[in-house]
Amino acid sequence: MIWLTWRQSHLKAASAAVVLAAFAVLLAVTGPHLASLYAGSKIGSCQGSDCGGPADDFLQQLYGSSLSGASSVDGTGTYWLLYLLGIVIILMAPAVIGIFWGAPLIAGELEAGTHYLAWNQSITRTRWLAVKLTLTGLAAMGVTETLSLMQAWWATPISRAVGRGGCCSPIAMNQFSPLVFATHGITPLGYAVFAFALGVTAGVLVRRAVPAMALTLAVFAVLQVVMPLWVRPHLFPPDHTITTLSSFAAINVPIERGTLTVIPDGFDSQPEGWVLSSGAVNTSGKPVSAVPAACMQVMQSGKASHPALLDCLDSHGIGIAVTYQPASRYWAFQWTETAIYVAFALALVGYCFWRIRRRLS
Amino acid sequence: MIEFHLNGRSGVAPYLQLIHQVRHALRLGLLREGDQLPKVKDVAAGLAINPNTVLKAYRELEYEGLAAARPGVGTFVTGTLGGGSLAAHGPLRRDLQRWLARARRAGLDDESIEALFVSTFRSAAEEGIA
Amino acid sequence: MTAVIETEGLGKRYRRLWALSDCTLSIPAGFVVGLVGPNGAGKTTLLNLATGMLAPTAGTIEVLGGRPAAGPAQLARVGYLAQHAPVYAGLSVADHLRLGAHLNPGWDAETARSRIERLDLSLGQKAGTLSGGQCAQLALTLAVAKRPEVLILDEPVSSLDPLARREFLQDLMEAVAEDGLSVVLSSHLISDLERVCDYLIVLVASRVLVAGPVEELLATHHLLSGPRRDPATLPAGQHVISASHTDRQTTLLVRTSDEILDPAWTAAEVGLEDLVLAYMNQAAGRGRHNHHLEVRT
Repeated sequence: MIWLTWRQSHLKAASAAVVLAAFAVLLAVTGPHLASLYAGSKIGSCQGSDCGGPADDFLQQLYGSSLSGASSVDGTGTYWLLYLLGIVIILMAPAVIGIFWGAPLIAGELEAGTHYLAWNQSITRTRWLAVKLTLTGLAAMGVTETLSLMQAWWATPISRAVGRGGCCSPIAMNQFSPLVFATHGITPLGYAVFAFALGVTAGVLVRRAVPAMALTLAVFAVLQVVMPLWVRPHLFPPDHTITTLSSFAAINVPIERGTLTVIPDGFDSQPEGWVLSSGAVNTSGKPVSAVPAACMQVMQSGKASHPALLDCLDSHGIGIAVTYQPASRYWAFQWTETAIYVAFALALVGYCFWRIRRRLS
Repeated sequence: MIEFHLNGRSGVAPYLQLIHQVRHALRLGLLREGDQLPKVKDVAAGLAINPNTVLKAYRELEYEGLAAARPGVGTFVTGTLGGGSLAAHGPLRRDLQRWLARARRAGLDDESIEALFVSTFRSAAEEGIA
Repeated sequence: MTAVIETEGLGKRYRRLWALSDCTLSIPAGFVVGLVGPNGAGKTTLLNLATGMLAPTAGTIEVLGGRPAAGPAQLARVGYLAQHAPVYAGLSVADHLRLGAHLNPGWDAETARSRIERLDLSLGQKAGTLSGGQCAQLALTLAVAKRPEVLILDEPVSSLDPLARREFLQDLMEAVAEDGLSVVLSSHLISDLERVCDYLIVLVASRVLVAGPVEELLATHHLLSGPRRDPATLPAGQHVISASHTDRQTTLLVRTSDEILDPAWTAAEVGLEDLVLAYMNQAAGRGRHNHHLEVRT
């Protein structure tokens, strides 16, 4: 059965090998230069809160410059695009696996009638399914996690820069930001095995490959949106603190309404933490919605994030109440979320076994 | 070795057809004592018929004393048809010649004689079934 | 001797329609069994139940004394060739043989190889490019080379041209002669089966109408013709299967184990095809609604 599963997977294996190889080559070719850029920045030699500046510069450079280092339009930096590309590939891998490896696995056999051939050899359906699922599932996990690890190695300079306080640009995503959380650590494993199980189950339910693929895509896409938005924030009770304005990287102060919002990645004492919500409060902890008149004058004379504005607001006793998840909980989140996906995957797989054993003709 | 054929439309059971073909071959001298009959497997595969049908025919031939099975080797012709060749039936032949002379004297031509013979032959055979 | 297939009140329902009802059979080993019936009669359902592809809704079924598909040992004893001879289109002929070797402990590689050679199939050819007849032959090779005790085939020749049909049956009979296989094959045409079957089951509209060795069936069914008469006046032991009347003459197909003693009747033998048709007509006349269930396979 191992032989048969392998023989039926030639196309899957070839395509996975091509993708892995191409990705590896791309990263291997561009990785060393990225590392040298990092070495050339002053982040390696900086201390503590001094690192913010060099880290910002480094990340800005990646975001807005080409491979040769020449400055170009913001947002088209080669390394930024490569970083995004890697993230997209890792995000898509579970979906692709679920759709192209999972959905046709059983549905293809049912559609072609080859299950009549397979189930009348001298092995039981249970064993047939077990071997198919295990081998392909392991391959799915392996491929996805390899992509993720390769990317994580390549992006080490970026994540280090963010860890040292780099901010203020789209490339400065910390470990909790949705795109990074879903593509690093062990969550890709969980997504891959779940998407695969989802595909297989869709195939067993629908019994035709193409509709099963569509169903898998739809359900997986929905879940991948629901999880970071509504489930992940509540996995652990968040911490609360009130901190000064200046500990935040950037503050938006829309003049008309005078509200204060912060970038929800991290703040000075928790650069790798996850800010769930924030609001301006006064010294007694009550929410503040209006910018004091004195500070409005300061604002009109300069940019919204001008340090003078911050000092003004500080001096009026205005701070930010933050609800956040500390960086130390990163792995707890990773394990928990992965466990949830794996548990769902196991439930789906159990259903498939039950369904196939009972009757299916 | 003889080769069998089957007429699916003749209404005669396959195993009987096989028996008839063996006996006919014996009469014509195509099969002699000691010759091996085709293997059951080859006949079944050649004609696409049930091997049991062939076995049944061979068993019937054995019962009639015309063949004998040697386990592991095959089925062999052991006897000849009683009465030897057609030449041996002298009295029957003379009776027939007398009947033919009478039929001609009655005015029947060749075709009428043949038709009379065949219809009488057939109805005599059918009487055996009802 | 264990029956090859033994069923007791076997039934299978899909949603609200019974594809097979109240089927009680005891098929002895050593026969080539023909399962005949119109499309939708329940033949595929019965064969799927025998191979464990389906589970019964009612009643029981035992194949070679065991529950169908109960475990690897049971699976090894039963060979199945499903309708349209499914094979893996992307795998070559040689791959299929390897499949058989890997998945069947009782695989006879020599038999498989020699059959493929005789069939002149190219080992490297993808199964998707084989003709219908070649697919059927490949599937038959796979089923036979695992050395089962019974071979079950669902309409193996229905979609084949006459030459392919003849070659398939030749091959099948050779396998039966060599290994003493019991065979159950279904068809909606009796003419496919006449030459090879020595046991007949007629299945119409989910019910078994008649089952028994062909020799016995032919010996106990008679075509009676005689002066016009009401079939109800026949003696008790004679069951009328079909009757037709003109103003002066009555023709009946009867089943009886007794001798026909009434001199008014002229009795003749019945051919297998006429026998099957008479039963099918009887079933059609009996039921006002024919539940023709197209079974999705």
